[in-house]
Amino acid sequence: MMPYFKFDYFSVDFSLVIAFVIGIAFGFVLERGGFGNARILAAQFYFSNMRVLKVMFTAIITAAIGLFYFTWIGWLDLSLVYTTDTFLIPQIVGGVFLGIGFIVGGYCPGTSFVSASTGRIDGMVYILGIFFGIFVFGETLPLFENFFNSTPMGRVTLYDYTGLSHGLVLFLVVLMALGAFAAAEWGEKIMAKKNGRSAE
Amino acid sequence: MKEKLMKLSTPWKLAILAGILGFIALLIGNPSNKNVIDVNAKEMALATVKNQDRIDAMILADWLIKENADYTLVDLRTEKEFSEYSIPNSVNIPIESLLTSDLMRNQKILLYGNDDVASAQAWFILKSSNYKAVYILKGGMNAWKNEILFPKLDAAATAEQTAAFEKVKQVSLHFGGTPQIVSGGTATTVAAQTITAPTMPKLTAPAGKIGGAKKKKEGC
Repeated sequence: MMPYFKFDYFSVDFSLVIAFVIGIAFGFVLERGGFGNARILAAQFYFSNMRVLKVMFTAIITAAIGLFYFTWIGWLDLSLVYTTDTFLIPQIVGGVFLGIGFIVGGYCPGTSFVSASTGRIDGMVYILGIFFGIFVFGETLPLFENFFNSTPMGRVTLYDYTGLSHGLVLFLVVLMALGAFAAAEWGEKIMAKKNGRSAE
Repeated sequence: MKEKLMKLSTPWKLAILAGILGFIALLIGNPSNKNVIDVNAKEMALATVKNQDRIDAMILADWLIKENADYTLVDLRTEKEFSEYSIPNSVNIPIESLLTSDLMRNQKILLYGNDDVASAQAWFILKSSNYKAVYILKGGMNAWKNEILFPKLDAAATAEQTAAFEKVKQVSLHFGGTPQIVSGGTATTVAAQTITAPTMPKLTAPAGKIGGAKKKKEGC
């Protein structure tokens, strides 16, 4: 039964080997998907290239559908899958900061490593920035620790919070993703036309 | 129909697949019911409480003194009994709300009731719901009282027994207990302060809260 690590199918040491293999595969797929290029990533925020949105939503619904059906079949104990605790307001603020950093630097933390590993200098500088940010955060945390720990909601999922069934939430998320794909395709066409005209 | 499907691009096919799976999920509703336990009769026969799943009161006392915190101590007795006296650092979870509690499946859980009956039942419920590390306190609260709070030494004890009792006495005093020396049915307390009748120690440590301890950080 999954998750294998929680059921002691392998040790902590071996889990690091697995993490390494999955990490390399993940980075490879990101790079092949064009996520090592800051121009493509930042274009998301100008709506000229919706690749980030498409990839993210694809990842979300693939994982969500997989987790749902694995649980239904009985292969997976969903309660053992780690879910980050929710601290609503601090996480919204953190998300905004991440978004700003994303537009300015052109990467999110993961893609900066992909970019650096292919030799891009901006990716390497971005990584230095990450470590500097971690350092500053760690040193100044006591100043805003109360805020950092505010609005704790514990481990909460959409279906726990809304009281809807797990399947209904999954269906809504899939609909949202399909709608977003359609909107992204349509938006890209419009932007291409607009950009095309302005170039003329 | 088949031709039309063949003509569709891969993204379209995948989108349709996702839509169908999402719709079926809507019909399934909830993929698992936490309160239903699948019990395999054969496994059930094999999975009786083994000796290594029992923890002696003395060992628990040792863990508590050493402030060992890698386990959750669960009191299965009623709320009233729990509020009167409970072993330090325990949380009160009645047996019927075990599965809806915040206990994690990868936590080390030590159960106790008044005796072994409730904890053995709870042990079985948790084990069959895939909780990994479940232990019971041997003898439950009764053993805790007899061995830790009110240990007795026969007045006619040998030197060896007396020496062993000295250690127990220290442990007992740590938990606010009243060690006694028994001679011919009458008990005399050997605590520094003489108390006529053994009384239950006051609850000094606040009753623990589930999830109070910071969970191990994982994830990205």
